[in-house]
Amino acid sequence: MMASSYNAKDEDGHHPGSVGSGGPGAVKSKKPDNTAFKQQRLPAWQPILTAGTVLPAFFMIGLIFIPIGIGLLVTSNNIKEFEVRAVAIATSYCVIRALCSYTAPRTKDFSNVFMYYGLSNFYQNHRRYVKSRDDSQLNGDKSSLLNPSKECEPYRTSDKKSIAPCGAIANSLFNDTLELFYIHPNGSRIAIHLVKTGIAWWTDKHVKFRNPGENNNNLSIVFQDTSKPVNWRKPVYELDPSDPDNNGFINEDFIVWMRTAALPTFRKLYRIIQKKKDNMTPTLPPGNYSLEVIYNYPVRSFDGRKRMILSTISWMGGKNPFLGIAYITVGSVCFFLGVVLLIIHHKYGNRNNNADIPN
Amino acid sequence: MMFYDLFSGVKWEVRANDHYFHQSCRRKSFLCFRWGRYADNVVRSYKYTPLTFLPLNLYEQFQRVANLFFLLIVILQVCGVPIIATIPWYSTMLPLLFVLLVRGCKDLATDLVSLSFLSFSHLLCCLSQADLLLLCSTEPHSLCYVETADIDGETNLKFRQALSVTHTELNGDSVKQNLAAFDGIVWCEKPNGNLHSFKGELHWKGERHLLDTDHLLLRGTVLRNTDIAYGLAIYTGSDSKILQNCGKLKLKNTQVEMLLNKTVLILLFMITTALLLAVGAGLFEHRVSPKYDVVSVLQRDSSPAYLGFITFWGYIILLSPSMPMSLYITFEVIHMVHCLLIGWDIEMYWEDNNSPAQARTTTLNEELGQVGHLLSDKTGTLTQNRLLFRQCFIAGHIYDLSWNRFSCGGLKFSDQRLVDKLRERSSPECQEFFTALALCHTVMSEWRDGLPHYQAASPDEEALVCAARELGWVFLSRTRETLTISEMGLTRNYQLLALLDFTSKRRRMSVLVRDPGGQLKLYCKGADIVVLERLQRDWPLQESTERALELFAQGCLRTLCVAVRSVPEALWTEWSRTLSQAGTSTGNQETVLEEIYDQMEKDLTLLGVTAIEDRLQEGVPETIATLRRAGLKVWVLTGDKTETAVNVGYACKLMDPDTILIQGEELRSENTEMTKAPEWGAKFVALSDQCQSVLCCRVTPAQKAEVVEMVRKHSTSITMAIGDGANDVNMIKTAHIGVGLCGVEGSQAVQNADFALAQFRFLRRLLLVHGHWSYYRICILLRYFLYKTTAFALVHIWYSFYNGFSAQPMYESWFISLYTTLYTSLPIQCMGFFEQDVSAKSCLCWPEIYSIGQKEQLFNPLVLAITLLYSVYTSIILFFIPMGILQYSALDYQTLAVTVQTSVLLTMTVEVILHTKFWTKYSVAAVVFSLVAFFLSTLALHSTRLFTASPKDYFFLGIHVCRLIIVHVKNISPKEEMHLIKITNYLKKKKRF
Repeated sequence: MMASSYNAKDEDGHHPGSVGSGGPGAVKSKKPDNTAFKQQRLPAWQPILTAGTVLPAFFMIGLIFIPIGIGLLVTSNNIKEFEVRAVAIATSYCVIRALCSYTAPRTKDFSNVFMYYGLSNFYQNHRRYVKSRDDSQLNGDKSSLLNPSKECEPYRTSDKKSIAPCGAIANSLFNDTLELFYIHPNGSRIAIHLVKTGIAWWTDKHVKFRNPGENNNNLSIVFQDTSKPVNWRKPVYELDPSDPDNNGFINEDFIVWMRTAALPTFRKLYRIIQKKKDNMTPTLPPGNYSLEVIYNYPVRSFDGRKRMILSTISWMGGKNPFLGIAYITVGSVCFFLGVVLLIIHHKYGNRNNNADIPN
Repeated sequence: MMFYDLFSGVKWEVRANDHYFHQSCRRKSFLCFRWGRYADNVVRSYKYTPLTFLPLNLYEQFQRVANLFFLLIVILQVCGVPIIATIPWYSTMLPLLFVLLVRGCKDLATDLVSLSFLSFSHLLCCLSQADLLLLCSTEPHSLCYVETADIDGETNLKFRQALSVTHTELNGDSVKQNLAAFDGIVWCEKPNGNLHSFKGELHWKGERHLLDTDHLLLRGTVLRNTDIAYGLAIYTGSDSKILQNCGKLKLKNTQVEMLLNKTVLILLFMITTALLLAVGAGLFEHRVSPKYDVVSVLQRDSSPAYLGFITFWGYIILLSPSMPMSLYITFEVIHMVHCLLIGWDIEMYWEDNNSPAQARTTTLNEELGQVGHLLSDKTGTLTQNRLLFRQCFIAGHIYDLSWNRFSCGGLKFSDQRLVDKLRERSSPECQEFFTALALCHTVMSEWRDGLPHYQAASPDEEALVCAARELGWVFLSRTRETLTISEMGLTRNYQLLALLDFTSKRRRMSVLVRDPGGQLKLYCKGADIVVLERLQRDWPLQESTERALELFAQGCLRTLCVAVRSVPEALWTEWSRTLSQAGTSTGNQETVLEEIYDQMEKDLTLLGVTAIEDRLQEGVPETIATLRRAGLKVWVLTGDKTETAVNVGYACKLMDPDTILIQGEELRSENTEMTKAPEWGAKFVALSDQCQSVLCCRVTPAQKAEVVEMVRKHSTSITMAIGDGANDVNMIKTAHIGVGLCGVEGSQAVQNADFALAQFRFLRRLLLVHGHWSYYRICILLRYFLYKTTAFALVHIWYSFYNGFSAQPMYESWFISLYTTLYTSLPIQCMGFFEQDVSAKSCLCWPEIYSIGQKEQLFNPLVLAITLLYSVYTSIILFFIPMGILQYSALDYQTLAVTVQTSVLLTMTVEVILHTKFWTKYSVAAVVFSLVAFFLSTLALHSTRLFTASPKDYFFLGIHVCRLIIVHVKNISPKEEMHLIKITNYLKKKKRF
């Protein structure tokens, strides 16, 4: 599709050094070697962009990108996403009940539903905040446990005991509890089962975060010389006493929080609502739901907002209209430019087509 | 000590065999302090020793602003408070180390080369290692034949002679004892770099003897035909003239490089940006963070202003990669390779004298593609400088000596009339004429195989002496005081009384001899004007002589007049006294000598005129025609007569109807005018810009340089001067680019030139092919470098709007350190080596392409601005598209960082791919290597193993590379589109022309 020429001249059969003045005492010939490299005659592929190659490329790109974009947009629109803005006035501990209705999707959705909490205006990407952690301590290093990195200041020690987990990120752990209830048409509230494992990255859960003290299951002994982060209500070994695989540093809620967000408005995976085993009933039946928030986390001081998001996913990930729009935009710009250039080429392009440069 | 005051400026004292005196003055050094006056003679032609290499080399390297800047950044990061260190110290240290290492290796390699050269020359035991005063030698008269090829490149034999007093007193059976007892004191000039002058006095046994260059054996000369020479060391070590001459070359900077140096503006821009961001940080700390106790607790009671100040330094560190640090080193490497390629070009190799083209200065390559004015010498540059004695005019008759233009100087077809006259000895004028030719010169003869071989300083002289030999007046040999010639088989000895040398100002030379009959005669040979005005008044044959001169000039012949004067004995005694008196005076010796010479060279009788032909070099007319098509203004500067110059001008297609002629007088007056009123020069250059070629005649070497200077001053274009002789050295040094032709007249021009060629016609290839390519490659390289570094750094700025101006980097620290060194350096390097926008053949076929460089179309402030804008645009796309795509997901910092850095890398690679028009296997390999290196090292750096080894440095763990690639294909494509659009627009623009 590209006009190209292959430039490979044969070597001229000259041999370096064979042409000297000869005879005894003759000066060594300084004649340069006649190699393709030294003579800059390396065989090379020289793509030449002409109207004939570039215009079809434009149209091709346009024609490929627009359908992809449309496909992505449609897929994204089919993904159900449901958001509850918890306009919290409360400043202290309380329970908020939000009523919401979740109508049935057009196509019945039988896959897992993901439950996120979102915060806005929360600078989890501020440099001082991002640095305020000790990865060695979180990786189960015994010495770091008792002597955390200086980066954790001022959340390094309290009451002359080292803090575990130290640092500002851990200290500001999101500690609201969200619960979802299905309101049966007959008025009864049925609690939806929320799965709290499987929400962290595999490498985080199994490599990056590890409890100290190897196989010692009794975490309260392992952490006995440490103090809990100042903002926490309970120590790290009581994050999930019911499940030893989800307790201490390897608590998944904790791990998810420790993976800092890139932007000040972010969402983090909170729970997974698993699909029904029979594949016949939708994961969340259409109807009314009630969201209960046990409100611990103060956001009002910095004009923060909390959200709860329910979302399904498809082959392209979560709901993402941007990607489809981006593809459609680029595709149409290309197509449009292709048309414009075609017109220009048609009108002015034939002026000097005969002046070909030989290679 | 009376003379000491007289000799102002002569302050160097050397006492023979007085160790104690010299020991006390020996230059000593401790650390960096030095005292004492006399350098020792330990040969130190290499720069570094194992011990000094590291400190010395580092010291040199940190004189570069960019390196120093990065060193400061590293210091800031390492020693500075951790709150400043936005990125770990190794991410800046690594590129800096890389640059220092490459540069250091290069320096070391250069040094090792010179070292091996030295050990080679050590083997020549007759090589003189200090500047010696020749005391005596084993040759008669203590003559000493030397070759000075290492010093000035001239290969002919020269002789040096000891003072006759030292010769007679020291020579003998017991030379060594005599020398040990020698207690002369030499007073001379302080060490200087002037190879051709030396003034001093030897005080010995209560007498003063004058010393000049003829008594001095310079360091670097090689003795020939002489067994042993004894000398007194005058200047040793770094005081010797050749070393005083080294390293004082004026550094020439190219325009592109100067523009590049203005990228210090980037530094300014960087500081401003950092300042603005710091203000943002201050505002954030003031307005937002007090409410936001999660962060405000971390600042530990610091004021917002202080935090802003800290952030400022953080951003300086973060934005520092936008300074293209590795650019300088890449630049140097590419220049070096381009120079090698010039030397390797087989089409610029000339078999006749076995010389390939040679790039002596490695910083000027791209200027070869931008030359606007070519100023050329005529003799030896346009012409072959292989002279033929074509015609002569003696006593009213013109004789054709070699009418055959293909004759090689053998004079086989000499004029029968002349031969008859000489044979019959019927014409005393003719005999006198050839006697003059055989006597009046500075040629050396060397006997080989029973025949004299002549070694002449200038080819004119050789041609004349050879012609005289062919016609029976054979110059046999010379000593300091005698000349032996054979006149038609009769050997005669002439006593040489004085030799009045040739200088370019005098434009004549004379010898004063006593012929075997005891008569004193002065033979003079010189340019027609100077000789004719020194003839006796009312000389005969005035008209026919002038007619002959005109005729010769029309035939493009170079003319010399030969004249004689009978000198009365009384005049000689008086004159020689004046001369010896003048000899002892210092100061303005040259002008004094000139006046004295003038007194002798008058009342001459014209013997005849010689006409020498200098043929055009092969391919000159075609080359000039092509260069003119390429838009170069060709100026020819020659010392010849107007008629000769004009004829040569027509012959080499320089002259069109629009060529203007500037007489030397006009120019001279204009030059003096110019010092007062610069607008004259501007007017002159403006006028000459209207014409394509300019021919300046009757120009002296100094004027040549002035013309170049004038063109440099009053036009913006790059000037190139080309010449072959010592008289062009000035011009070559003054021009932006000096080209020396390895001609017949020694190689002084080459020694001072930036490029050396064997033939004028190679200039076409040098400029149109190598010059154009170099310019193209280097411009593309610069643009790409600026683009890649600024786009890379700007992303941080966009991110800072989302992280509270806290100087949080957008990339992983390892990416920052490997980006410039490993991921993006090779493809562009390959492009800098191999890229060809048009083939060599097309470059030569369509010289008009060359004007791209002359008009600076590929790199000028506008292009620079566009490039910077383009990089701003790219950085916006690079940040906001990934952000837009990922904002809907549970976006964590690590994912965004890795996504953005992958996009950065892919974009930069795509940019190179789109710019490359000449795909060799190396280019493909470089692109593949960069991408593979990126993905492999990302995999490795995110691996579990490294994390467990050091969780702090490798905290980016377990990114799903495969998933990322898919994301990238998605978000890279808009970018690529824009490129295609840009290129197509460019193509369209091109097409419309």
